[in-house]
Amino acid sequence: MTLLVLLFWLIAGGTLQAALPAWRHMGQPAFPILLGVVLYAAVNKKIRYFVIAALLAGLVEDALSLAPLGYSACAFLAAGGLALLLRADFFADKAATTSWFGALCAATATGAMALLLQLKGLVALSIGATLWRMAGSAVLAAVVVPLLFGLMRGMERALGTWEDRA
Amino acid sequence: MKDRRWIALCAIGLVVLAIMNLPDAASRRVKGVVRDGISPLQAALRGGAREAQEIFRYVRGIGDLALENRALSEEIVYLRGEMRMARELERDNQMLRDLLGFVQRFPNKLISCEVVGRDSTGWWQTARLDKGVAAGVAEDRAVITPDGLIGRTVSVSDRTADVLLLSDPACKVSVRLARSGVFGVVAGLGHKPGEQPACRLDYVSKTADVQEGDEVVTSGQGGLFPKGLLVGRVVKVKLDDAGLYQTAWIDSAANLGELEYGFVAATDKDLAAARAAEPPPTGGEEDVEADFPEGEDDP
Repeated sequence: MTLLVLLFWLIAGGTLQAALPAWRHMGQPAFPILLGVVLYAAVNKKIRYFVIAALLAGLVEDALSLAPLGYSACAFLAAGGLALLLRADFFADKAATTSWFGALCAATATGAMALLLQLKGLVALSIGATLWRMAGSAVLAAVVVPLLFGLMRGMERALGTWEDRA
Repeated sequence: MKDRRWIALCAIGLVVLAIMNLPDAASRRVKGVVRDGISPLQAALRGGAREAQEIFRYVRGIGDLALENRALSEEIVYLRGEMRMARELERDNQMLRDLLGFVQRFPNKLISCEVVGRDSTGWWQTARLDKGVAAGVAEDRAVITPDGLIGRTVSVSDRTADVLLLSDPACKVSVRLARSGVFGVVAGLGHKPGEQPACRLDYVSKTADVQEGDEVVTSGQGGLFPKGLLVGRVVKVKLDDAGLYQTAWIDSAANLGELEYGFVAATDKDLAAARAAEPPPTGGEEDVEADFPEGEDDP
Protein backbone atom coordinates (compact mmCIF):
# COMPACT_ATOMS: atom_id res chain seq x y z
CA MET A 1 0.00 0.00 0.00
CA THR A 2 1.62 3.19 -1.08
CA LEU A 3 0.97 6.44 0.72
CA LEU A 4 -0.92 7.65 -2.35
CA VAL A 5 -3.36 4.74 -2.19
CA LEU A 6 -3.80 5.35 1.51
CA LEU A 7 -4.58 9.02 0.85
CA PHE A 8 -7.06 8.04 -1.85
CA TRP A 9 -8.93 5.79 0.59
CA LEU A 10 -8.87 8.42 3.31
CA ILE A 11 -10.35 11.06 1.00
CA ALA A 12 -12.88 8.66 -0.52
CA GLY A 13 -13.74 7.28 2.91
CA GLY A 14 -14.04 10.74 4.42
CA THR A 15 -16.28 11.94 1.58
CA LEU A 16 -18.50 8.88 1.79
CA GLN A 17 -18.68 9.06 5.55
CA ALA A 18 -19.58 12.76 5.39
CA ALA A 19 -22.29 12.05 2.83
CA LEU A 20 -23.80 9.19 4.81
CA PRO A 21 -25.83 10.36 7.80
CA ALA A 22 -25.43 8.50 11.06
CA TRP A 23 -27.49 5.30 11.35
CA ARG A 24 -30.86 6.13 12.90
CA HIS A 25 -30.90 3.11 15.19
CA MET A 26 -28.95 1.77 18.17
CA GLY A 27 -27.68 5.13 19.44
CA GLN A 28 -27.10 6.69 16.01
CA PRO A 29 -23.57 5.40 15.35
CA ALA A 30 -21.60 6.56 12.30
CA PHE A 31 -20.78 4.29 9.38
CA PRO A 32 -17.21 3.21 10.26
CA ILE A 33 -15.61 3.76 6.88
CA LEU A 34 -12.57 5.71 8.04
CA LEU A 35 -12.14 3.26 10.89
CA GLY A 36 -12.22 0.45 8.32
CA VAL A 37 -9.36 2.08 6.41
CA VAL A 38 -7.34 2.37 9.64
CA LEU A 39 -8.02 -1.27 10.55
CA TYR A 40 -7.01 -2.39 7.07
CA ALA A 41 -3.69 -0.61 7.48
CA ALA A 42 -3.26 -2.04 11.00
CA VAL A 43 -3.91 -5.61 9.91
CA ASN A 44 -2.24 -5.73 6.52
CA LYS A 45 0.48 -3.11 6.52
CA LYS A 46 3.53 -1.92 8.37
CA ILE A 47 2.96 -0.18 11.67
CA ARG A 48 4.07 3.20 10.33
CA TYR A 49 1.30 3.07 7.71
CA PHE A 50 -1.21 2.28 10.41
CA VAL A 51 -0.06 5.25 12.52
CA ILE A 52 -0.22 7.62 9.53
CA ALA A 53 -3.66 6.25 8.62
CA ALA A 54 -4.95 6.66 12.19
CA LEU A 55 -3.68 10.24 12.48
CA LEU A 56 -4.97 11.34 9.07
CA ALA A 57 -8.31 9.53 9.39
CA GLY A 58 -8.74 11.12 12.81
CA LEU A 59 -8.00 14.51 11.32
CA VAL A 60 -10.58 14.04 8.58
CA GLU A 61 -13.25 12.69 10.94
CA ASP A 62 -12.78 15.51 13.45
CA ALA A 63 -12.75 18.13 10.71
CA LEU A 64 -16.11 16.85 9.51
CA SER A 65 -17.70 16.97 12.95
CA LEU A 66 -17.78 19.23 15.99
CA ALA A 67 -15.17 17.12 17.81
CA PRO A 68 -11.91 18.86 18.76
CA LEU A 69 -8.94 17.86 16.63
CA GLY A 70 -7.09 14.75 17.78
CA TYR A 71 -9.97 12.98 19.53
CA SER A 72 -10.82 10.61 16.71
CA ALA A 73 -7.11 9.94 16.16
CA CYS A 74 -6.93 8.74 19.78
CA ALA A 75 -9.97 6.51 19.27
CA PHE A 76 -8.55 5.11 16.01
CA LEU A 77 -5.17 4.46 17.63
CA ALA A 78 -6.92 2.59 20.46
CA ALA A 79 -8.92 0.45 18.03
CA GLY A 80 -5.89 -0.04 15.80
CA GLY A 81 -3.79 -1.00 18.82
CA LEU A 82 -6.29 -3.74 19.55
CA ALA A 83 -6.09 -4.76 15.90
CA LEU A 84 -2.30 -4.99 16.14
CA LEU A 85 -2.60 -7.23 19.19
CA LEU A 86 -5.06 -9.53 17.43
CA ARG A 87 -3.43 -9.40 14.04
CA ALA A 88 -1.46 -12.64 14.47
CA ASP A 89 -4.62 -14.64 15.27
CA PHE A 90 -6.82 -13.04 12.68
CA PHE A 91 -7.65 -14.39 9.25
CA ALA A 92 -7.90 -11.30 7.11
CA ASP A 93 -9.24 -13.22 4.13
CA LYS A 94 -12.25 -14.71 5.91
CA ALA A 95 -15.32 -12.49 5.88
CA ALA A 96 -16.68 -13.93 9.12
CA THR A 97 -13.55 -13.22 11.17
CA THR A 98 -13.17 -9.81 9.54
CA SER A 99 -16.73 -9.11 10.57
CA TRP A 100 -16.15 -10.04 14.23
CA PHE A 101 -12.86 -8.25 14.25
CA GLY A 102 -14.38 -5.07 12.79
CA ALA A 103 -17.20 -5.18 15.32
CA LEU A 104 -14.81 -5.50 18.26
CA CYS A 105 -12.56 -2.67 17.07
CA ALA A 106 -15.50 -0.37 16.24
CA ALA A 107 -16.96 -0.87 19.70
CA THR A 108 -13.53 -0.03 21.16
CA ALA A 109 -13.21 3.12 19.05
CA THR A 110 -16.73 4.26 19.96
CA GLY A 111 -16.09 3.60 23.64
CA ALA A 112 -12.81 5.54 23.53
CA MET A 113 -14.46 8.44 21.71
CA ALA A 114 -17.39 8.50 24.14
CA LEU A 115 -14.96 8.58 27.05
CA LEU A 116 -12.97 11.47 25.59
CA LEU A 117 -16.07 13.51 24.71
CA GLN A 118 -17.59 12.89 28.13
CA LEU A 119 -14.37 13.93 29.87
CA LYS A 120 -14.36 17.16 27.88
CA GLY A 121 -18.06 17.68 28.63
CA LEU A 122 -19.00 17.82 24.96
CA VAL A 123 -21.70 15.16 25.13
CA ALA A 124 -23.77 13.84 27.98
CA LEU A 125 -24.43 10.13 27.60
CA SER A 126 -25.44 7.61 30.22
CA ILE A 127 -23.47 4.37 30.52
CA GLY A 128 -26.43 2.52 29.04
CA ALA A 129 -26.61 4.87 26.05
CA THR A 130 -22.86 4.55 25.51
CA LEU A 131 -23.00 0.75 25.59
CA TRP A 132 -25.99 0.80 23.23
CA ARG A 133 -24.09 3.01 20.84
CA MET A 134 -21.01 0.77 21.07
CA ALA A 135 -23.24 -2.18 20.18
CA GLY A 136 -24.69 -0.18 17.27
CA SER A 137 -21.28 0.69 15.88
CA ALA A 138 -20.26 -2.98 16.27
CA VAL A 139 -23.26 -4.07 14.20
CA LEU A 140 -22.48 -1.51 11.49
CA ALA A 141 -18.79 -2.42 11.44
CA ALA A 142 -19.63 -6.12 11.18
CA VAL A 143 -21.24 -5.32 7.83
CA VAL A 144 -19.09 -2.45 6.56
CA VAL A 145 -15.56 -3.62 7.46
CA PRO A 146 -15.55 -6.91 5.47
CA LEU A 147 -16.94 -5.08 2.43
CA LEU A 148 -14.32 -2.37 2.73
CA PHE A 149 -11.51 -4.87 3.25
CA GLY A 150 -12.64 -6.69 0.10
CA LEU A 151 -12.71 -3.46 -1.90
CA MET A 152 -9.32 -2.30 -0.66
CA ARG A 153 -7.73 -5.66 -1.23
CA GLY A 154 -9.23 -5.81 -4.72
CA MET A 155 -7.86 -2.39 -5.55
CA GLU A 156 -4.42 -3.29 -4.24
CA ARG A 157 -4.37 -6.47 -6.31
CA ALA A 158 -5.41 -4.50 -9.37
CA LEU A 159 -2.66 -1.95 -8.75
CA GLY A 160 -0.11 -4.63 -7.93
CA THR A 161 0.65 -3.26 -4.48
CA TRP A 162 -0.85 -6.20 -2.55
CA GLU A 163 1.60 -8.16 -0.42
CA ASP A 164 0.72 -10.82 2.13
CA ARG A 165 0.95 -9.52 5.67
CA ALA A 166 3.72 -6.93 5.84
CA MET B 1 14.39 -3.14 19.78
CA LYS B 2 12.19 -2.62 22.82
CA ASP B 3 13.68 0.84 23.32
CA ARG B 4 12.83 1.77 19.74
CA ARG B 5 9.24 0.70 20.29
CA TRP B 6 8.93 2.87 23.36
CA ILE B 7 10.47 5.82 21.56
CA ALA B 8 8.00 5.35 18.70
CA LEU B 9 5.08 5.09 21.12
CA CYS B 10 6.18 8.25 22.94
CA ALA B 11 6.56 10.08 19.62
CA ILE B 12 3.03 9.07 18.55
CA GLY B 13 1.67 10.15 21.92
CA LEU B 14 3.40 13.51 21.60
CA VAL B 15 2.03 14.05 18.10
CA VAL B 16 -1.51 13.28 19.27
CA LEU B 17 -1.12 15.54 22.29
CA ALA B 18 0.19 18.32 20.08
CA ILE B 19 -2.79 17.96 17.73
CA MET B 20 -5.21 17.96 20.66
CA ASN B 21 -3.65 21.09 22.09
CA LEU B 22 -3.39 23.13 18.94
CA PRO B 23 -4.40 26.76 19.45
CA ASP B 24 -8.05 27.39 18.62
CA ALA B 25 -7.27 29.48 15.54
CA ALA B 26 -4.91 26.85 14.12
CA SER B 27 -7.39 24.08 14.87
CA ARG B 28 -10.18 25.97 13.05
CA ARG B 29 -7.90 26.60 10.13
CA VAL B 30 -6.94 22.94 9.80
CA LYS B 31 -10.57 21.87 10.12
CA GLY B 32 -11.63 24.48 7.57
CA VAL B 33 -9.05 23.35 5.03
CA VAL B 34 -10.13 19.70 5.31
CA ARG B 35 -13.84 20.54 5.23
CA ASP B 36 -13.56 22.93 2.31
CA GLY B 37 -11.55 20.31 0.45
CA ILE B 38 -14.13 17.60 0.98
CA SER B 39 -17.32 19.68 0.72
CA PRO B 40 -17.40 19.88 -3.13
CA LEU B 41 -17.09 16.08 -3.28
CA GLN B 42 -19.75 15.78 -0.60
CA ALA B 43 -22.09 18.11 -2.50
CA ALA B 44 -21.48 16.22 -5.75
CA LEU B 45 -22.18 12.89 -4.04
CA ARG B 46 -25.38 14.26 -2.54
CA GLY B 47 -26.45 15.69 -5.88
CA GLY B 48 -25.78 12.33 -7.53
CA ALA B 49 -27.79 10.56 -4.85
CA ARG B 50 -30.73 12.92 -5.44
CA GLU B 51 -30.59 12.31 -9.19
CA ALA B 52 -30.49 8.56 -8.63
CA GLN B 53 -33.45 8.84 -6.28
CA GLU B 54 -35.44 10.76 -8.90
CA ILE B 55 -34.60 8.19 -11.59
CA PHE B 56 -35.57 5.36 -9.22
CA ARG B 57 -38.90 7.04 -8.46
CA TYR B 58 -39.53 7.55 -12.15
CA VAL B 59 -38.68 3.93 -13.04
CA ARG B 60 -40.77 2.60 -10.17
CA GLY B 61 -43.65 4.78 -11.36
CA ILE B 62 -43.40 3.27 -14.83
CA GLY B 63 -43.27 -0.22 -13.32
CA ASP B 64 -46.39 0.35 -11.22
CA LEU B 65 -48.21 1.77 -14.17
CA ALA B 66 -47.30 -1.22 -16.28
CA LEU B 67 -48.61 -3.55 -13.62
CA GLU B 68 -51.88 -1.67 -13.31
CA ASN B 69 -52.48 -1.12 -16.99
CA ARG B 70 -50.69 -3.67 -19.09
CA ALA B 71 -52.76 -2.70 -22.07
CA LEU B 72 -51.54 0.87 -22.14
CA SER B 73 -49.16 1.67 -24.91
CA GLU B 74 -45.58 2.77 -24.42
CA GLU B 75 -46.47 6.21 -25.63
CA ILE B 76 -49.02 6.73 -22.86
CA VAL B 77 -46.48 5.64 -20.27
CA TYR B 78 -44.02 8.11 -21.70
CA LEU B 79 -46.58 10.90 -21.68
CA ARG B 80 -47.56 10.16 -18.10
CA GLY B 81 -43.94 10.24 -17.14
CA GLU B 82 -43.62 13.60 -18.78
CA MET B 83 -46.67 14.84 -16.92
CA ARG B 84 -45.29 13.60 -13.64
CA MET B 85 -42.06 15.41 -14.28
CA ALA B 86 -43.97 18.56 -15.17
CA ARG B 87 -45.90 18.31 -11.91
CA GLU B 88 -42.65 17.89 -9.99
CA LEU B 89 -41.26 20.94 -11.70
CA GLU B 90 -44.42 22.88 -10.86
CA ARG B 91 -44.13 21.84 -7.22
CA ASP B 92 -40.45 22.84 -7.12
CA ASN B 93 -41.39 26.14 -8.74
CA GLN B 94 -44.07 26.77 -6.12
CA MET B 95 -41.65 25.86 -3.32
CA LEU B 96 -39.03 28.27 -4.67
CA ARG B 97 -41.67 31.01 -5.00
CA ASP B 98 -42.70 30.42 -1.38
CA LEU B 99 -39.06 30.60 -0.30
CA LEU B 100 -38.56 33.82 -2.21
CA GLY B 101 -41.69 35.31 -0.68
CA PHE B 102 -40.48 34.30 2.75
CA VAL B 103 -37.11 35.91 2.19
CA GLN B 104 -38.72 39.13 1.01
CA ARG B 105 -41.00 39.25 4.06
CA PHE B 106 -38.23 38.57 6.58
CA PRO B 107 -36.65 41.68 8.08
CA ASN B 108 -33.11 40.25 8.39
CA LYS B 109 -30.46 39.85 5.78
CA LEU B 110 -30.77 36.21 4.80
CA ILE B 111 -28.24 34.03 3.07
CA SER B 112 -29.84 31.11 1.27
CA CYS B 113 -27.94 27.86 1.66
CA GLU B 114 -28.39 24.29 0.57
CA VAL B 115 -28.07 21.48 3.09
CA VAL B 116 -25.29 19.25 1.76
CA GLY B 117 -24.86 16.87 4.63
CA ARG B 118 -25.74 15.69 8.09
CA ASP B 119 -23.59 14.95 11.08
CA SER B 120 -21.79 11.80 10.05
CA THR B 121 -20.52 10.86 13.51
CA GLY B 122 -23.87 10.73 15.29
CA TRP B 123 -22.52 12.47 18.40
CA TRP B 124 -24.33 15.70 17.56
CA GLN B 125 -27.46 16.77 15.69
CA THR B 126 -26.05 18.95 12.95
CA ALA B 127 -26.56 19.74 9.28
CA ARG B 128 -23.94 21.10 6.90
CA LEU B 129 -24.68 24.11 4.70
CA ASP B 130 -22.92 24.80 1.42
CA LYS B 131 -21.93 28.37 2.31
CA GLY B 132 -19.46 29.78 4.78
CA VAL B 133 -17.46 32.87 5.66
CA ALA B 134 -16.94 33.73 1.99
CA ALA B 135 -20.70 34.18 1.58
CA GLY B 136 -21.15 36.13 4.81
CA VAL B 137 -22.04 33.29 7.16
CA ALA B 138 -20.63 33.69 10.67
CA GLU B 139 -20.77 31.59 13.82
CA ASP B 140 -23.72 31.84 16.21
CA ARG B 141 -26.24 33.03 13.66
CA ALA B 142 -29.84 31.82 13.53
CA VAL B 143 -30.70 29.43 10.71
CA ILE B 144 -34.31 29.33 9.58
CA THR B 145 -36.66 27.92 6.99
CA PRO B 146 -40.07 29.24 5.94
CA ASP B 147 -41.55 26.86 8.55
CA GLY B 148 -39.48 28.18 11.45
CA LEU B 149 -36.18 28.13 13.28
CA ILE B 150 -33.92 25.11 12.77
CA GLY B 151 -30.85 26.03 14.82
CA ARG B 152 -27.70 28.12 14.86
CA THR B 153 -24.36 28.04 13.06
CA VAL B 154 -21.56 26.61 15.17
CA SER B 155 -18.58 25.84 13.00
CA VAL B 156 -17.95 27.89 9.90
CA SER B 157 -15.21 27.48 7.32
CA ASP B 158 -14.68 29.44 4.12
CA ARG B 159 -17.23 27.47 2.13
CA THR B 160 -19.26 25.46 4.64
CA ALA B 161 -21.14 25.98 7.89
CA ASP B 162 -22.40 23.46 10.41
CA VAL B 163 -25.79 24.12 11.98
CA LEU B 164 -26.46 22.85 15.48
CA LEU B 165 -30.08 21.77 15.17
CA LEU B 166 -32.81 22.54 17.69
CA SER B 167 -32.94 18.85 18.55
CA ASP B 168 -29.36 18.83 19.91
CA PRO B 169 -29.14 19.09 23.70
CA ALA B 170 -26.42 21.73 23.33
CA CYS B 171 -28.74 24.02 21.34
CA LYS B 172 -30.53 26.28 23.81
CA VAL B 173 -32.96 28.95 22.66
CA SER B 174 -34.59 31.68 24.70
CA VAL B 175 -38.30 31.51 23.87
CA ARG B 176 -41.68 32.96 24.67
CA LEU B 177 -45.12 31.40 24.40
CA ALA B 178 -47.01 33.50 21.85
CA ARG B 179 -50.40 33.22 23.60
CA SER B 180 -49.52 33.73 27.27
CA GLY B 181 -46.16 35.50 26.98
CA VAL B 182 -44.43 33.01 29.31
CA PHE B 183 -40.63 33.05 28.90
CA GLY B 184 -38.23 30.11 29.11
CA VAL B 185 -35.31 28.31 27.50
CA VAL B 186 -35.79 25.28 25.27
CA ALA B 187 -33.11 22.64 24.77
CA GLY B 188 -32.98 19.76 22.31
CA LEU B 189 -33.78 16.23 23.36
CA GLY B 190 -31.12 14.58 21.18
CA HIS B 191 -33.65 12.47 19.29
CA LYS B 192 -33.13 11.11 15.81
CA PRO B 193 -33.38 13.71 13.00
CA GLY B 194 -37.02 14.50 12.36
CA GLU B 195 -38.29 12.63 15.42
CA GLN B 196 -40.78 14.65 17.47
CA PRO B 197 -40.87 16.19 20.02
CA ALA B 198 -37.56 17.82 19.17
CA CYS B 199 -37.04 19.92 22.28
CA ARG B 200 -38.24 20.67 25.77
CA LEU B 201 -39.02 23.75 27.83
CA ASP B 202 -37.89 23.11 31.41
CA TYR B 203 -38.48 24.86 34.72
CA VAL B 204 -41.62 26.77 33.78
CA SER B 205 -43.35 28.12 36.90
CA LYS B 206 -46.23 25.90 37.99
CA THR B 207 -48.57 28.89 37.86
CA ALA B 208 -47.62 29.83 34.29
CA ASP B 209 -50.28 29.39 31.63
CA VAL B 210 -48.95 26.69 29.28
CA GLN B 211 -51.29 24.64 27.13
CA GLU B 212 -50.93 22.02 24.43
CA GLY B 213 -50.94 23.65 21.01
CA ASP B 214 -49.35 26.88 22.23
CA GLU B 215 -47.02 28.43 19.67
CA VAL B 216 -43.43 28.85 20.85
CA VAL B 217 -41.46 31.74 19.37
CA THR B 218 -38.00 33.14 19.99
CA SER B 219 -37.95 35.84 22.66
CA GLY B 220 -35.04 37.82 21.23
CA GLN B 221 -33.38 37.76 24.66
CA GLY B 222 -29.72 36.80 24.70
CA GLY B 223 -29.24 38.44 21.33
CA LEU B 224 -28.52 35.27 19.42
CA PHE B 225 -31.85 34.68 17.72
CA PRO B 226 -34.03 37.43 16.24
CA LYS B 227 -37.29 38.00 18.08
CA GLY B 228 -40.51 36.31 16.96
CA LEU B 229 -39.21 33.32 14.98
CA LEU B 230 -41.51 30.32 15.23
CA VAL B 231 -39.79 27.46 17.05
CA GLY B 232 -42.65 24.99 17.31
CA ARG B 233 -45.76 24.02 19.23
CA VAL B 234 -46.30 22.59 22.68
CA VAL B 235 -47.44 18.98 22.43
CA LYS B 236 -47.33 17.91 26.08
CA VAL B 237 -47.20 19.66 29.44
CA LYS B 238 -46.36 17.95 32.73
CA LEU B 239 -45.87 19.10 36.31
CA ASP B 240 -42.64 17.72 37.82
CA ASP B 241 -42.78 15.17 40.65
CA ALA B 242 -42.12 17.78 43.33
CA GLY B 243 -44.94 19.93 41.92
CA LEU B 244 -42.72 23.00 41.61
CA TYR B 245 -42.22 23.38 37.88
CA GLN B 246 -43.88 22.51 34.61
CA THR B 247 -42.12 20.94 31.66
CA ALA B 248 -43.40 21.38 28.11
CA TRP B 249 -42.41 19.17 25.17
CA ILE B 250 -42.23 20.95 21.84
CA ASP B 251 -42.59 19.73 18.27
CA SER B 252 -40.34 21.80 16.03
CA ALA B 253 -42.19 23.74 13.33
CA ALA B 254 -39.57 22.87 10.71
CA ASN B 255 -39.06 19.23 9.79
CA LEU B 256 -35.51 18.72 10.99
CA GLY B 257 -35.31 15.31 9.35
CA GLU B 258 -35.88 16.53 5.81
CA LEU B 259 -33.98 19.78 5.48
CA GLU B 260 -33.01 20.80 1.97
CA TYR B 261 -32.57 24.54 2.32
CA GLY B 262 -31.86 26.94 5.13
CA PHE B 263 -31.42 30.67 5.52
CA VAL B 264 -28.74 32.13 7.72
CA ALA B 265 -29.71 35.42 9.39
CA ALA B 266 -26.60 37.51 8.76
CA THR B 267 -25.62 40.91 10.04
CA ASP B 268 -24.22 43.82 8.07
CA LYS B 269 -20.85 43.13 9.65
CA ASP B 270 -20.81 39.53 8.38
CA LEU B 271 -21.60 40.60 4.86
CA ALA B 272 -19.13 43.45 4.96
CA ALA B 273 -16.44 41.05 6.15
CA ALA B 274 -17.26 38.67 3.31
CA ARG B 275 -17.18 41.50 0.77
CA ALA B 276 -13.87 42.71 2.12
CA ALA B 277 -12.37 39.23 1.87
CA GLU B 278 -13.46 38.57 -1.68
CA PRO B 279 -14.52 40.60 -4.72
CA PRO B 280 -18.33 40.58 -5.15
CA PRO B 281 -19.76 37.77 -7.33
CA THR B 282 -20.41 38.71 -10.92
CA GLY B 283 -23.67 36.81 -11.32
CA GLY B 284 -25.30 33.41 -10.91
CA GLU B 285 -26.67 32.62 -7.48
CA GLU B 286 -27.42 35.70 -5.44
CA ASP B 287 -28.30 36.02 -1.83
CA VAL B 288 -31.41 38.00 -1.07
CA GLU B 289 -30.83 40.83 1.30
CA ALA B 290 -33.19 43.10 3.19
CA ASP B 291 -32.78 45.82 5.76
CA PHE B 292 -31.66 44.74 9.17
CA PRO B 293 -30.77 46.99 12.11
CA GLU B 294 -27.01 47.06 12.64
CA GLY B 295 -25.66 44.91 15.47
CA GLU B 296 -29.02 43.85 16.91
CA ASP B 297 -28.25 40.19 16.74
CA ASP B 298 -24.60 40.27 17.60
CA PRO B 299 -24.07 37.71 20.34
